[in-house]
Amino acid sequence: MIAQVRQRLSPPVIALLLAIALFFAGGLINPAFVNLTQAINIVRLAAFLGIIAAGQTLVIISGKEGIDLSVGAVVTLGAILVFRLSNGQNEALLYAIPIALAAGALIGALNGVGIVIIGIPPLVMTLGMAGVVQGTILVLTQGQLVGGTPPIMGQLISSPLIGPFPGVIFIWLAVGVAMWLLLERTRFGKHLFAVGVNRTTARLSGVRVPLVVIATYALSGLLAAFGGFILLGFTQTVFLNLGGPYLFPAIAAVVIGGTVLSGGKGSYWGTMSGALVLTLIDSLLRAMQLQEAYQLIILGFILVLLISIYGRQSDLRQ
Amino acid sequence: MKVSLSAQHIVKRYSGVVALADGNLNVESGQVVALLGANGSGKSTLSKIITGVVAPNEGQLLLDGRPVTFASPQAAKKAGITAVYQELSLIPDMTVAENIWLAHEPLQFGVRINRREMRRRTDALLDLFSGAFHTLDADALVADLPPDEKQIVEILKAFSLKPRVMILDEATASLDSRQVDRLFNLIQQWKAENLAIVFVSHRMEEIFRVADRATVLRNGITVGDVAISETNERELVNLMIEASATPRRHERTVAADAPVRLSVRGLRTQALKGIDLEVRDGELLGIGGLQGQGQSELLLALFGAIPWTGEVTLSGEPVHFRHPRAAMEKDVAFVPGDRASEGLLYIRSILENLLLPSWQRYGIPLQLDRGRQDATRIADDLGLVRPSMDAPVSALSGGNAQKVVIGKWLLRNPKLLLLNDPTKGVDVGAKAEFYNLLNDLRQAGTAILFYSSDDVELLELCDRVLVLHDGKVSAELSGSDLNRANLVAASMGSGHMNHEPA
Repeated sequence: MIAQVRQRLSPPVIALLLAIALFFAGGLINPAFVNLTQAINIVRLAAFLGIIAAGQTLVIISGKEGIDLSVGAVVTLGAILVFRLSNGQNEALLYAIPIALAAGALIGALNGVGIVIIGIPPLVMTLGMAGVVQGTILVLTQGQLVGGTPPIMGQLISSPLIGPFPGVIFIWLAVGVAMWLLLERTRFGKHLFAVGVNRTTARLSGVRVPLVVIATYALSGLLAAFGGFILLGFTQTVFLNLGGPYLFPAIAAVVIGGTVLSGGKGSYWGTMSGALVLTLIDSLLRAMQLQEAYQLIILGFILVLLISIYGRQSDLRQ
Repeated sequence: MKVSLSAQHIVKRYSGVVALADGNLNVESGQVVALLGANGSGKSTLSKIITGVVAPNEGQLLLDGRPVTFASPQAAKKAGITAVYQELSLIPDMTVAENIWLAHEPLQFGVRINRREMRRRTDALLDLFSGAFHTLDADALVADLPPDEKQIVEILKAFSLKPRVMILDEATASLDSRQVDRLFNLIQQWKAENLAIVFVSHRMEEIFRVADRATVLRNGITVGDVAISETNERELVNLMIEASATPRRHERTVAADAPVRLSVRGLRTQALKGIDLEVRDGELLGIGGLQGQGQSELLLALFGAIPWTGEVTLSGEPVHFRHPRAAMEKDVAFVPGDRASEGLLYIRSILENLLLPSWQRYGIPLQLDRGRQDATRIADDLGLVRPSMDAPVSALSGGNAQKVVIGKWLLRNPKLLLLNDPTKGVDVGAKAEFYNLLNDLRQAGTAILFYSSDDVELLELCDRVLVLHDGKVSAELSGSDLNRANLVAASMGSGHMNHEPA
């Protein structure tokens, strides 16, 4: 009986239920926590995290210790490129966005080549690439962050767009639909899962494994740069470590959403739930007005607890 | 000091399957006993029991006339019994000297490893093979050595234990002729020093050069123990096969005018030394021989999964596949030998496994309904017993999992089907269904290249059988030549016997 319930309660469902429970638990601590403005605010914060975690979801599904630690740096680079190239002009976005996305995709593709052609472990390759990107940012900007955020970005991303809902929520939903289509309704998605489970089987079934892996890391870079663009719409300004703080929460969101670190199994709507859970925990701890240090300790414990619950699910192991 | 080892009436069952029914082996000082048998006759089980790797269910081991039981390989080593296996047991990241003296390092004050002494003793051992290797050195990393030199290290490692009984299990397979000569000289020397040797080899010629006696296993039973000087190849082969060799159930013929689907000339890979073959539409060409003679490499090369040289034509058109996808586009399919590691995505659904090679047919976005219909049809055709199409493959039994591996290729209607030992670990009922399926495919005109490690299967199903030995075709058998005796003789690398044994 319990096993049956457990089977039906896949990790994304658990995460989503947890998010709802946390929201109302927030109301017990502080009745002001449960209202529409607060809910919208939380979804908006989760949206940034969720968009940045989209590429990470793909990379982790690709297996073989797949992980992309260059995401934080690429988010920063994407934001800086848009900031600089557009220089506050709405029309300039027409080329600033494609250039930023292409830069992200190129960095990701280089990661993919290093990993699948040269055979560098993903952790090492992407960590090294994070350093290279950070360094490149310093060289290009000389530490001087000149430019501007086009006003339309603020309108489309962070200000209320339809009713009280800011644009970023709709963008996040669109990313969600696109990711679902990509993973579940394209050949690439099916091949990505196959590559994540067993690369020999995939190759002997006609999957071009190196191409899939390179494309996956390239997509991760592209989505990170896109995340930088979105983040810029919120912060309106750039700084050198804009994306850094999102790197590990994004990985945690993917794992909380039930995507298996060993690869081959996962979903983006799980990651979306994971992003909501993390943002809620964070907001709740803030609402409790705990010291930052205690917040971190509690957050760490919750993560370990959640992931150990998932780990016990038999169908996740083997 | 003289030694004698005797295994008497050994029985070993693995979860109901009898690997050894009545294994007997006697060897004593100054003797080389060759242990022979066809695939699955129990050779390796018997040598594993002698060396303490597995425990027998019944029977006894006598060492110097006294009953002994070995709880572990270490216990057997302590009693002076060591083995050299073809699957190397060396640690790649350690040096030659460290590997040879692993766990019996020369010590100083009983604790510290005496490196100088270890080095000196290693050099002394390497001198035994001096001139027969290139890079071998006491301080060389094992990972950097070519296969033949690793094998030499393996032999020296066993010898460093000062054994009284030594088992050489296919120890010559990766050695060149000069190295084999040197080893045989050493064996003569070791015999004079009272070592007892059990020599397992599939090279008849070597057995006649080095062995004093031959012990023959058949279906887990020791059926013969003869002096080499009083026997010949023919007699040994006849001992290895059943007295009444399995008759062929059906004579099958392919229309001689059926078009040639696949033609191969001089195909070479690392393991293959020039293969020629031809398969016609509707023909089932068997590939036989002892395991590891290049059969898998042949199929993998034809499927574009490993690099090769040579000429291959498909229906007259020259092709050179460099990736399985290229082969698939020409209607070639490959059913791998190891389901778990090469054929299936265990945690993914039956549906996804069946459709994996075929997704490009279903458009963007994927028309999953149509895919599900196709997959369900194949699953029903194959009689796949399943909880649902969305259940993970890990929920299926071995035979049903195998149906998924085959089904995913049948969905593509292949014109050339490459089968790499597909019935390994499949139960009898599922095998029979599989045989029927093969016949249906032949009727439909599919050309099939079928490697099997089961000789009976080859005899029953195939029109022709190519026997591979050491990367070459040692015999092509068809018609009345296609019988057990010829199959076994050819897998031992001995010449083609034209006549049925008396």
